Amino acid sequence: MNAWLVAAAVLMVAGLGPVLWCVATGPLRRRVAAQNTGTLLVCLVLLLLARGYARPPYTDVALVVALLGPVGTLVYARLLGPEMGDDPQQGPLTKAFAVLATAAVVLPLCVAEGPGRSLVKLLLIGAILVGGNVISSQALAGARPKEADDHG
Amino acid sequence: MADVLIALALLLVAATATAAVAVRDPARQALVLSVLGLTLTLLFTVLQAPDVALSQLAVGSALTPLLILLSVRKARRRSLDQVRAEKEAEEGGT
Amino acid sequence: MNRRLRMWVLLLGLAGTAAVLAAAAFRLPAFGTDFHPYGDRAVREALARQTANTVAAVNFDQRAFDTLGEETILFAAVLGTVVLLRQARDERHVEPAPADVAAPVRRYALVLLPVTLVAGLYIVAHGQLTPGGGFQGGVVAATALHLLYIAVDYRALERIRPLGVFEVGDAAGEAAYLVIGVAGLLAGSSYLANTILPHGTFNTLSSGGTVPLLNAAIGMEVACAVVVLLARFLDQAVEIEGEGENAGGNAGEGERK
Repeated sequence: MNAWLVAAAVLMVAGLGPVLWCVATGPLRRRVAAQNTGTLLVCLVLLLLARGYARPPYTDVALVVALLGPVGTLVYARLLGPEMGDDPQQGPLTKAFAVLATAAVVLPLCVAEGPGRSLVKLLLIGAILVGGNVISSQALAGARPKEADDHG
Repeated sequence: MADVLIALALLLVAATATAAVAVRDPARQALVLSVLGLTLTLLFTVLQAPDVALSQLAVGSALTPLLILLSVRKARRRSLDQVRAEKEAEEGGT
Repeated sequence: MNRRLRMWVLLLGLAGTAAVLAAAAFRLPAFGTDFHPYGDRAVREALARQTANTVAAVNFDQRAFDTLGEETILFAAVLGTVVLLRQARDERHVEPAPADVAAPVRRYALVLLPVTLVAGLYIVAHGQLTPGGGFQGGVVAATALHLLYIAVDYRALERIRPLGVFEVGDAAGEAAYLVIGVAGLLAGSSYLANTILPHGTFNTLSSGGTVPLLNAAIGMEVACAVVVLLARFLDQAVEIEGEGENAGGNAGEGERK
């Protein structure tokens, strides 16, 4: 078990444990935000696992999480928006965490990777991940009760 | 040592699955179900089955929540209207 | 057949299955050893046909017939949903209202849509090389289209989604799989045999013989099936109103039928 796998194990437990707690308890808006953070963390863990197992094709799984994770959150923001109405907004901390966590994982991976096509792919996954996470946080903050009708 | 990762992923799956059962409201259950899909993805990956992980991810991350929430919305609208209609009938009767 | 007799038949079947399963379980190789008779054979066959992803070789070459069964299950399930969720006689059609989505979210979704679509096609096309294949890629590509509903509104999705074309695509994907199978028969070997095409160069896009073709067929079938399936759900949740079902203020406004 190399350092990458240890990092993956630590991120898995320290990250997804709290995510699970927040997604199962508390106000609805916080639950959706926790699910959003969950996709980010799983993507990062998958990147670490791909490196740790020395299997570059595994990064495809991380790419799919980075692409579809925020789509899932947008689904919740769109269809549960009316219910979230008066729930407290998430602070800027969640967005900052998304950017910092992605940087903390992707940058060492890039350094270890060295220049090449895999590096471009890694940077692309990082960019999609941060972009998707920030945008879906924004969609979540903008979900208002006035969309309470149904034919949208 | 790789077994540690498998054990951790299994524990996460078990905990999330329990939470999915413990949460009662279907819309909130869908959220826990998404996280369950994510933990299953991790489990399949540490078991060296990335094909299965990808299948789980493709279906579980956006498609399943969309299907569940659309069904919940339709069902709720129907029951809300039934309640409304019954109330109106009652008010009309008294 | 009365209830009691049926229970006995069921019990007999269950007992038979249990006996066969138990007998098979005792003949399994021990857990956690280096002895993998099935794995070794599968990998040998995959390498013989230049397929880098052994899972794809098992699914679309060695056990391609099983995959045909799975594909047919999906096809039949979608067909059943289409029949169940059709607009009934006592239901009305309501024009969907435009949705209010924040501008950055809308822009992001419109950028992400083509990226996700390409990623889906990439996963289908590389099925014989890396994890993934027709099913996974097809679902990703179909999800990409629905970004239009999620981040714009239902009318935008309806504009780019001619449902008839997707229904035909669903059937065509299923048919393509069957035809590729028959091609194996015509070439003089067995149904779905991977003999009609050259096996190509290992670890390149053109490798694996019929594996990429079958992946493409499955990808098309799954993508179209998911679009058709979601269309029925969306219609029910957004456009179709049942008897006594009055949603918000805009009911009755756009009655078409």
